[in-house]
Amino acid sequence: MLSEIAFYGALETGLIYGLVAFGIYISFRVLDFPDLTVDGSFPLGAAVAAVLIIAGWNPWLATGMAVLAGMAAGAVTAILNVKLNILNLLASILTMIALYSVNLRVMGRPNLALLTEDTVLTPWYDLEFLEYHQVSVVLFAIVALVSLILLWRFMKSETGLAMRATGANARMARAQGIATGGMIIFGVALSNGLVGLAGALFAQSQGAADVTMGVGVIVIGLASLIGGEAVITPSSVMRALVACVIGAIIYRLAIAFALNADVLGLQAQDLNLITAVLVTLAIVLPGVRTNLTNRFSRKKA
Amino acid sequence: MAKKTLRTLLGASLLAAASLVQADDTRVVAITQIVEHPALDAAHQGVKDELAERGYREGENLRLMHESAQGNSAIATQIARKFVGESPDVIVAIATPSAQTVAAAARKIPVVFSAVTDPIAAKLVKSWEEPGANITGVSDMLPIEKHIDLLQRVMPDAKRIGTVYNPGEANAVALIELLDERLAARGLELVKGAATKTSEVLGAARSLVGKVDAIYLTTDNTVISAAEAVVSVGERSKIPVFAADTATVERGAVAALGFNYYNHGRQTGAMVARILEGADPATMPVETMEELDLFVNPAAGERMGITLSEDLIKDAKEVIKSDK
Amino acid sequence: MISATDLRLTFGKGTPLENPALRGMSLTVNQGEFVTVIGSNGAGKSTFLNALSGEVMVDSGKIVVDNLDVTRLPTHKRASRVARVFQDPLAGTCEGLSIEENLALAIKRGQRRGLTSAVKKQYFEQFRNSLSSLKLGLEDRLGDKMGLLSGGQRQAVSLLMASLTPSAILLLDEHTAALDPKTAAFVLELTTKIIEEQKLTALMVTHSMKQALEVGTRTVMLHQGQVVFDIGGQEREGLEVKDLLELFEKQRGLSVDDDSLLLG
Repeated sequence: MLSEIAFYGALETGLIYGLVAFGIYISFRVLDFPDLTVDGSFPLGAAVAAVLIIAGWNPWLATGMAVLAGMAAGAVTAILNVKLNILNLLASILTMIALYSVNLRVMGRPNLALLTEDTVLTPWYDLEFLEYHQVSVVLFAIVALVSLILLWRFMKSETGLAMRATGANARMARAQGIATGGMIIFGVALSNGLVGLAGALFAQSQGAADVTMGVGVIVIGLASLIGGEAVITPSSVMRALVACVIGAIIYRLAIAFALNADVLGLQAQDLNLITAVLVTLAIVLPGVRTNLTNRFSRKKA
Repeated sequence: MAKKTLRTLLGASLLAAASLVQADDTRVVAITQIVEHPALDAAHQGVKDELAERGYREGENLRLMHESAQGNSAIATQIARKFVGESPDVIVAIATPSAQTVAAAARKIPVVFSAVTDPIAAKLVKSWEEPGANITGVSDMLPIEKHIDLLQRVMPDAKRIGTVYNPGEANAVALIELLDERLAARGLELVKGAATKTSEVLGAARSLVGKVDAIYLTTDNTVISAAEAVVSVGERSKIPVFAADTATVERGAVAALGFNYYNHGRQTGAMVARILEGADPATMPVETMEELDLFVNPAAGERMGITLSEDLIKDAKEVIKSDK
Repeated sequence: MISATDLRLTFGKGTPLENPALRGMSLTVNQGEFVTVIGSNGAGKSTFLNALSGEVMVDSGKIVVDNLDVTRLPTHKRASRVARVFQDPLAGTCEGLSIEENLALAIKRGQRRGLTSAVKKQYFEQFRNSLSSLKLGLEDRLGDKMGLLSGGQRQAVSLLMASLTPSAILLLDEHTAALDPKTAAFVLELTTKIIEEQKLTALMVTHSMKQALEVGTRTVMLHQGQVVFDIGGQEREGLEVKDLLELFEKQRGLSVDDDSLLLG
């Protein structure tokens, strides 16, 4: 029994993690750069937005700064990899670890409450036609849609194509005059900028920025990405991006459902197992689908 | 094909689940905690037991819901949403992150928080005396003054007090700030050792050796989980270790004037019961733990180089006998 | 016009695996020349090409392309002047991108890329014309992913891509070596056609002495990191593989035992 509020709650969290999935799409899929920085850039975005909002900044500007902070974090990881030749995965772990201390410094304390502050959501609560729990879903849906369209246009542009080539075949990209090092730095920065955005929005809807908010973001992001790809084959950039959001929403719905399925005896502590099962299914099912299709088409012949 | 099946399954199960209904004159209390942990679990048990004692029995006239967020913020958010969607009579939120996310989601439903050290900083209430909205609760703020009194009673000449804490825990940071302030007011110095996870506690305790006369531990979750490590350092270097909760005295600290989280839970349960009977959270002051018990462990004291006075032992509610 | 002067390059200096790949390589290719390069394994052919394209940096020496000293420039900074077709058909194209996307990448080789759409409508005619000259039907499959094409088709497209925008020099790195004989012949024919039509300056490394003599205007043979002979014009016409061998032995006092060189 998924109450309306729980359903909207899943949508809201799903849309936020959809932004995270966009970021992971750029690093893992487009650039072939396993990037764990997100576990640090998500709370960094939350921290920067929270500190600025409490200091009186306009919440949208504060959120914008959170994006820039995320981009800086991503750039650090990429520079460690491109300029210092540190393995990409390792570089991202280094940045992620460093960010824990950075986030504490930024916030000054491990938990910054936003409950009584003006956030990006506040003006929307006054709207007559939207109920309280629907506000965040509508706003985040708009943000997700705008991000999706901008990302799509970007990936189709000359620079975006150059970025895709960098991830697909770096040697060939260089032969075509593409500065692959710069592309990687820009791409990983962009990716973490999106994750910073997600963190900032999450803190504002949650009521607080907490330094432990980032734990497990990479897993949720990957589960969303892979799950979405299982449902929508990412044969084009648009499909891949839509898959990110759909995957994130499905994952959160599955969790909401698991939380409500008392009849199955599932509890929140089973969630890690459920995540593992979902991701496994998501990886295996496309293969099963191909086998079944082949089986059937052979039969026809 | 499998893709379509997946979609249909998902849709069908969501619809099927929507058909469950619930009975009507039962009271519904939903309890959420941020993570599973002995102190928080004890509080949870305390709430349940207090409600039972006041006539609210599960299965008869009470429906209890409980979820733990496994330390994950996103799950805490979804739990909060789930609970609000069920329209319970009261939501109990154990620990600051859970309380905040419930506060963000629940506008009209009464919320009682538990194990939140500083509800003002967490922006859960307007003031200690008049919370002002739908949220109130019990704070586990430590009676720092009384603890320093105890420490000075046992060691009047101590000048430098050491402590280990996790700078990533909101409760701990709040307590450390207060401790620093109160010690300074008495002319005492606070030396801090930081441990971001339980495996670092030993190292942080060791960093205090030679710099402090005594060690005082707050109710920091990370440190309490590894209390034995601090005790071992205290014994080896002859630095007496004082605690803020009584259970740690059983694990080797010299003395503590504390409360236990089970009682904390019961006090919370009492507030829940009053709300179920019609009280308004906006006018219910935030409570702190009044009942404090003195626990002492003379044998541990000996091992750490001090002898507890007869007076003190007589005053104690419980004297721990440990041989080791 | 490209000139390499006294290029020296040693791999793994100071280690037991030290390998002096280029030992004073000098070569000048003038505008419009089509030079074939041969040599046995270890002669330095690939290294030479990698040095020209910028994938490896020489220890000493100078490389000038169209009056620009590119010696210390990385590959992507030379790309406006240097076009390259790799030996591995899979290395020269992106299999996950479509044919038109690959072509769009190539058409901007060496130019600044902006935020406008990559696959522009105005490219369509040019792409279709180029591809139809291959007579493989690819002009109707612009949206297909490159990975669907065979090795030979991909190599043909790579060639086209290299000639979509002007270059000072076209480097062909044993580009038919990984193909079956029929496809290899097709690609070779395509190569000479494109070079002729566009009057390109080209440097083709080949493993086959026969091929080296059949195409191009000049043949250069490398051995142990140096040029051992350089034949062009009148001298070169009518030469056969056995003549090359004689020349080689005369120059170096060595005989060539690399079968693939002789029989290819």
